[in-house]
Amino acid sequence: MKIIVAIKQVPERDARIRIDAAGKWIDLQDIEVALNESDAYALEEALQLKEAQGGEVVAISVGPERAGQTIREALAKGADRGIHVEVSDPDALTNLDSLAIARLLASAIRDEQPDLVLTGLQSDDLGFGQTGVILAELLGIPHATLILKTEVTSTGIRVLRELEDGWFQHIDMPTPALLTIQSGTNKLRYATLMGIKRAKMKELRAVTADLASVAPVLVRDRVTLPSKQRTTEILTGTPAEAAQKLVDKLQAEARVL
Amino acid sequence: MALLLALPAASPAFSLGSLAEPAPLLLAEKALLLALILTCAWLFWRRFGVVVARIRASRKDPNFSLAPIAPRVRDFVWEVLCQAKVIRERPLPGLAHAFVFWGFLAFALVTLNHFAVGFGFPFLSSTGIFGRFYFAFAACFAVTCAISIAALFVRRFLIQPVWLARVGHKISWESGLIAGLIFTLMATYLASFLVPDGSPSATILWWAHTLSLLVFLPLVPHTKHLHLILSPLTVFLSRGGFSRIPPLVGDEDFGLVTGRDLTQLVSLQAYSCVECGRCTEHCPAANTGKALNPKEIILGLRSYLNDLGPTSEEPLLGKYISQEAVFQCTTCGACEYQCPVGIEHLPIIIGLRRGATNTGTWEDDYAGKLFNAMERNSNALGLSALDRDKFIQKQAFPIFDGSQDYCLWLGCMGGYDPNGREIVSSFAEVMNYLGTSYGVLRKEKCTGDPARRLGNDLVFQMLAEANLEALKQNKVKKIVTICPHCVRTIQEDWKEFGTPPEVEHHSEFLARHQARLPRNPSQDSVVFHDPCYLDRYRGITEEPRQIAALAGPLVEAEQSHQRSFCCGAGGGLAFLGEEHGERVSQVRTAQLTATGASTIAAACPFCNSMLRDALADSGPNPPQLLDIAQIAAASLPPKSDPTQP
Repeated sequence: MKIIVAIKQVPERDARIRIDAAGKWIDLQDIEVALNESDAYALEEALQLKEAQGGEVVAISVGPERAGQTIREALAKGADRGIHVEVSDPDALTNLDSLAIARLLASAIRDEQPDLVLTGLQSDDLGFGQTGVILAELLGIPHATLILKTEVTSTGIRVLRELEDGWFQHIDMPTPALLTIQSGTNKLRYATLMGIKRAKMKELRAVTADLASVAPVLVRDRVTLPSKQRTTEILTGTPAEAAQKLVDKLQAEARVL
Repeated sequence: MALLLALPAASPAFSLGSLAEPAPLLLAEKALLLALILTCAWLFWRRFGVVVARIRASRKDPNFSLAPIAPRVRDFVWEVLCQAKVIRERPLPGLAHAFVFWGFLAFALVTLNHFAVGFGFPFLSSTGIFGRFYFAFAACFAVTCAISIAALFVRRFLIQPVWLARVGHKISWESGLIAGLIFTLMATYLASFLVPDGSPSATILWWAHTLSLLVFLPLVPHTKHLHLILSPLTVFLSRGGFSRIPPLVGDEDFGLVTGRDLTQLVSLQAYSCVECGRCTEHCPAANTGKALNPKEIILGLRSYLNDLGPTSEEPLLGKYISQEAVFQCTTCGACEYQCPVGIEHLPIIIGLRRGATNTGTWEDDYAGKLFNAMERNSNALGLSALDRDKFIQKQAFPIFDGSQDYCLWLGCMGGYDPNGREIVSSFAEVMNYLGTSYGVLRKEKCTGDPARRLGNDLVFQMLAEANLEALKQNKVKKIVTICPHCVRTIQEDWKEFGTPPEVEHHSEFLARHQARLPRNPSQDSVVFHDPCYLDRYRGITEEPRQIAALAGPLVEAEQSHQRSFCCGAGGGLAFLGEEHGERVSQVRTAQLTATGASTIAAACPFCNSMLRDALADSGPNPPQLLDIAQIAAASLPPKSDPTQP
């Protein structure tokens, strides 16, 4: 089974976010980066499928030069080879939308003829949740989103989707197919020294992104940091009165009761 | 033996006091003697040669150097010649062992002369001044040695201390035989003072002594008595320091994975084990019903070497050593501290963990989480660095800018754990009172201690290198911290990747300034719990006691100072799942509460958290638990500024 996992390098959760000079995106200078969380689970799912079924796991990422580290990380965890669709112009990269990214991925993946393409559910920075879905369309293969579990069957693959409100859905799908994986589905393996050393010897192919063919259709106007509002109110009176006031506020204002 | 017991009555002339020589040996007897000696030597080498070959065929130790030689000589004199470690832990059996050992030393010359007599060239004469003196001198040792070996025999076979036994093995008959031979050697020697020179009795005694020696020698390499030959070398060649973990070399070294990874020192140590069980006797895991038994780890290595040799590709963990056991070690180091034959258990246990973790063969949900947290969040608790920022702001800790004397290292516990934060805050209060200038780093990553001890060199190296770089950029010269694990890791383990700044534990800092700390002790007693990473790893036991004593009179727990019993947190175990058997922390807490002290003083945030949990479960009115920094802060005068909390 050949599985392609599309992964993304995103700013680290604790990174100090500043808006860049143009106000269109965050300043990426000196920012610490990490593998997108749900992509880590997509990779883990792919590795477990490979361990059970045999085959190959290929990690692919669209990104600047430093995205190579994230692909290496995937190789260290057990992916067999990597494809880096390199976009060296930072402005061009910032302007790419989900459609453009999916097109770049699709053109790199098409010749690979994978049985399965996995992506994370959504990215931790932009959070559109569209790249995987569009990629499936471009590749002309079926897709399913919010996947918690997979199971290879004689006809294809059976997946478990998470729906709203505690509902789940089982779907039987033919392969090849694309699945977007939910976070927290598996226990993530840790990177090992041996993995890192072996990763150095694995193939990491860099291809230059053909930006001319993927003009973005979505234009970002501006980004702002969330405004912080904190109001503290001290409820006075006897404990009973204060408790009553608290209950009123929780019911009427916070609406949590 | 019956003959020997009858001898004194037959010959009352003990006052003659000179060693009887046998009648000169006939040529045939000399030939027989020579044949016996050669057979004995062959039998000896047939086994000993194999052992030497196995040790020599093991991988060379990276970074091993004989220099500096002085500490090696010192350890050799103290631990081997003076038998200090043997005696310290088990005074009576230890002394008995020492007398046997000293007896052997004294007998070296006598034994050489004994064979020389057989061939007709004695060099010690019982009529010459030196010979007379030396035979009498050796006779004194023979008496103490004979009494000692008899006592040790009684201990092993009648009292049967549990630690001497091996799991799943019967009591070793060889030990009894060896004891019998040693006793016979001494008795035949002493009896030779009671018989006339050249008499048939003297000849019989001479042959009895000879045969005992010739049976004894080949037995040595076949049994744990191999330690007679190897352990002096093992002690002399040890890596030195405490838990000195060797660097990984090249791209294929991941720790102890297969026989090929065993180094000459590890193999030498495995063959030196005398099976005394001191390691297991003091092991917190072995004492609380875990699978870990440090003696069996070393003997597992020995069995591996015997069966497969040091070039085997078979994994070390599995048939010979249990992976479960290896990961139950708290790295408290009681085993290594106790071992009288120079075995360094920690580099071996951590080496086995490295082999399993670095290759990804160790699967543990908690460890996976811990390593991912350390990698992603750079702290062992997996919390956001923003949490630490908020804490620093709230406490208004000054930021280190290169101008202050000390960099106050918070550590994961001090930066993120609620109890650890209280300790750091108290310590900062004391430093403020003393007028010490200090600052904290804006960003600080875990020292990598849990990763280091659990054998994850990738995470450890990443954290060590990042921290070393940050400290260099911030021009940090001196670090003080509340965590003994941070102290050890920064000071020793980081050396593999650079030059760490000077670092000290807050107990050292506080003890140095204690004259300026106010004291208002109560009548209620205080018991101090020694943290392993302070007492055994750093050799510090008095400094924290001096601060603990600010709160009241000190009492000592059943195990204390460098024999302290672990809290159960070390070696990354604080972050792993539920323990099997009894909890180490509860056993230790019971020891501490049994003193009746109203305060337990701790000096490590990990101990603090383990003891706190165990105390919550220990019944009504538990003693209060305070770090020594909190004790020092409590004795400070109330702040005059009312706006300060």
